[in-house]
Amino acid sequence: MSMLEVRAVSRWYGNVVAVNDVTMQIGPGVTGLLGPNGAGKTTLIAMMAGFLAPSAGTVTLDGEQVWHHPTAYRHLGLVPEREVSFGYLTARQFVRAKAELHGLSEVGRATERALEIVELDADAGRPIGTYSKGMRQRAKLASALVHDPSVLLLDEPFNGVDPRQRLHLMVLLSRMGQEGRTVLFSSHILEEVEQIARQVEVVVAGRHAASGDFGAIRRLMTDRPTRYRVRSNDDRALAALLMAQDFVRGVSLEPRGAVAVQVTDFGTFAHALPRLAREAGLTLLEVIPTDESLESVFTYLVSA
Amino acid sequence: MSSSPERRAVIHDIGYRTYDGPRLGTGSVATSLFTTGLLNAYGFGRSAKAKVLPLVVLAIMLVPAVILVAIMVVVGLGEGFIDYSTYATSLFLIISIFVAAQAPVLFSRDLRSGAIVLYLARPLSAAGFALVRWASLAVAILMFVMLPVLVLYAGALAAEADVSEQTGDLLVATAGIALLSAVLATLAGLVSALTLRRGLAVGAVVIALLVSTGFVAAVQSIAVVEGNEAVAVWAGLLSPFTLVDGVQSGLLGGTSSYPAAPETGVMAAVYLLTALAVIGTGLALLVRHYHRQGKR
Amino acid sequence: MNATITRLAARSLFGRRRGVLLVVLPFLLVALSMAVALLTEATSAVDPVTAVFGLGLVLPLVALLVSTGVIGPEIEDGSIVYLLATPVSRLSVAVSKQVVASVVTVVLGAGAVLTSALVLAPGSPGQALALGLGAVVAGLAYCGLFVALSALLRHGTVAGLIYVLVFEGLLASWLSGLRYLSVGSFGRRVAGALTDDLDLVVRDMSLVYGVVAALVFTVGGALVTAHRLRSFELRGDD
Repeated sequence: MSMLEVRAVSRWYGNVVAVNDVTMQIGPGVTGLLGPNGAGKTTLIAMMAGFLAPSAGTVTLDGEQVWHHPTAYRHLGLVPEREVSFGYLTARQFVRAKAELHGLSEVGRATERALEIVELDADAGRPIGTYSKGMRQRAKLASALVHDPSVLLLDEPFNGVDPRQRLHLMVLLSRMGQEGRTVLFSSHILEEVEQIARQVEVVVAGRHAASGDFGAIRRLMTDRPTRYRVRSNDDRALAALLMAQDFVRGVSLEPRGAVAVQVTDFGTFAHALPRLAREAGLTLLEVIPTDESLESVFTYLVSA
Repeated sequence: MSSSPERRAVIHDIGYRTYDGPRLGTGSVATSLFTTGLLNAYGFGRSAKAKVLPLVVLAIMLVPAVILVAIMVVVGLGEGFIDYSTYATSLFLIISIFVAAQAPVLFSRDLRSGAIVLYLARPLSAAGFALVRWASLAVAILMFVMLPVLVLYAGALAAEADVSEQTGDLLVATAGIALLSAVLATLAGLVSALTLRRGLAVGAVVIALLVSTGFVAAVQSIAVVEGNEAVAVWAGLLSPFTLVDGVQSGLLGGTSSYPAAPETGVMAAVYLLTALAVIGTGLALLVRHYHRQGKR
Repeated sequence: MNATITRLAARSLFGRRRGVLLVVLPFLLVALSMAVALLTEATSAVDPVTAVFGLGLVLPLVALLVSTGVIGPEIEDGSIVYLLATPVSRLSVAVSKQVVASVVTVVLGAGAVLTSALVLAPGSPGQALALGLGAVVAGLAYCGLFVALSALLRHGTVAGLIYVLVFEGLLASWLSGLRYLSVGSFGRRVAGALTDDLDLVVRDMSLVYGVVAALVFTVGGALVTAHRLRSFELRGDD
């Protein structure tokens, strides 16, 4: 169980600020670091991995600074976005080299274990240069896992990986999170994050825009209308009833039956809806929040 | 806004729609590629960092010329003090560095990044592309070497040297420098196109230029000590600098900077033919290489 | 020293086309020496061939290609993080890489210098040994300098070339004071101390200075490289 702490960290290049006063704590489980391209995700991960000095603030792993402390790598695994230029090595040689560099006692066994975890053991005898993107990504993951780190940092791990292998990688990351490892991965694609991480850290233009469970983040933004889809036994009557309420901004009838509602105050709506339906003698069949997907959370944060 | 609805409805041509206006010909494509290449060789149109090396090396190249001119003007020396035709060869190190550092800019980057495919999808053929690139590099080298020589010439005129004599010497040097630029551009371009990694390409070009010159210098000095002039002269064919120096001194009446230069007209002709053969063969190989790249 | 890093560095040198280029130069030196030895009888060729061409040009260029090869590309494309994301000490990474560069330079560069001198003057093995030893000293110092240069600069190869060609080749021959900073002159000083047959133009530099200065370049290079690796920063593309 490891805790990665980013405290009041800023990083600037000349007069360009890449990361601006970010504070976050990454604990066990899978966390998604989300943000559009150029938001500072790579810079942030580089600082967490000890490959970039923060211009201000500190990055610590279990209380110890990462920058200038190579001993931190005993507990930390990094999967950079950069490709392996050791393409002439086989995956087995590459992972084995990492095992040796970590000074593991059972190099051979650790290597095979890591290759098995990423299911690369069958192809591990081929040079990495001949691999597909997804396989190379798994080889990098195996090399980062060989010393069984408690913290795993991945920079854009799903970039350019085909859907089948992407799914495989996602399953792997979820499993590591469940095993109690602290897994942080960056992505600019929402559905990737949504599929494996409830916990997100959102960075936009170098600033820490939001943090926590993305559903909860969404509910915090009460100044924005929230959308729901409600199905009932009489949609038109329900629509008329809802339109009369203060907390409803708009109502529309969906072509396939259901009422789309935009509410300004989600709390009041959640309490009022069952009562209103009962009083009018309407039966509610289904109530679904339609924009709690990360996509909309993200759109709000970015355009805010 | 009172324009009619028809006028307001417009699909803007942002390049995806069929363009049927007048087109510039292949010549314009070549000209603009040539100019861009020439500017790129000096770092213009690239990052600020890319300008440092070529301009610093150019400055180093100019320093001796400026010092010579200063001495010439102050002391009042006019005649026989400087020799345009040996300026290039005495600074062959600087020229080699410039060529080695800048040839990969024109010949390795497109091939390494794969952008070459985009270039060759344009009306310019692979052969045309290779030749235009080569011309950019050759002219860049020509300017690099000519500039200090022109400074010397201007200095000599300012010191009131004999104009017709100086001009004649300058023309000889210009012919030599032009040939040198063509030979260097051919060799460096070919080596860079074949070695894609930048650092490696720089190393390979330097080895091709300097090691051959060092090799020839060693052979010539031994052969001259041994009294074996013929071997020394034949060895001169093996390096671009001695090769062009031989043509310049043997055919054009310039001064040689090396221990052995062709004495007879026949030998000088062999030098010239070798130089032309190097350019011809090199260009043929270069064109063939680009042709293959275009097919991938 | 780390055996894994050493092994990887050696593979990166000879696993690719660069390996061919490395062998070309020493081969050229030996071939030239053989040709000269066959064509002439004079042992005077040791000076222009072995000392000037070999010690002065082939050795530094071999050292440059080898040194930039072991570290330059990995720093340039950032893949050195795979080596650095481990608890191995940075000094150990630097030393391991420099050792590989030095061994290859000594075997290929100094080896070719020694062979060249033996081929040209088989009668005086002492002189050959002196030149070979001078080449070893210079080779080690060159590797220290060039590994550090390519760790520090993106265009380490060009910087190294400028050092060898402009600084040592041009400036140091005009401004004789600069020989105190020229690695080539340390090597020639050591060679000159061991043989009287050659005029190696560094008479007035003290032998102790030459040896110590070469040592400073070798050790200093490793320290600078280690320092650079300690603060290696991974830059994103954005």
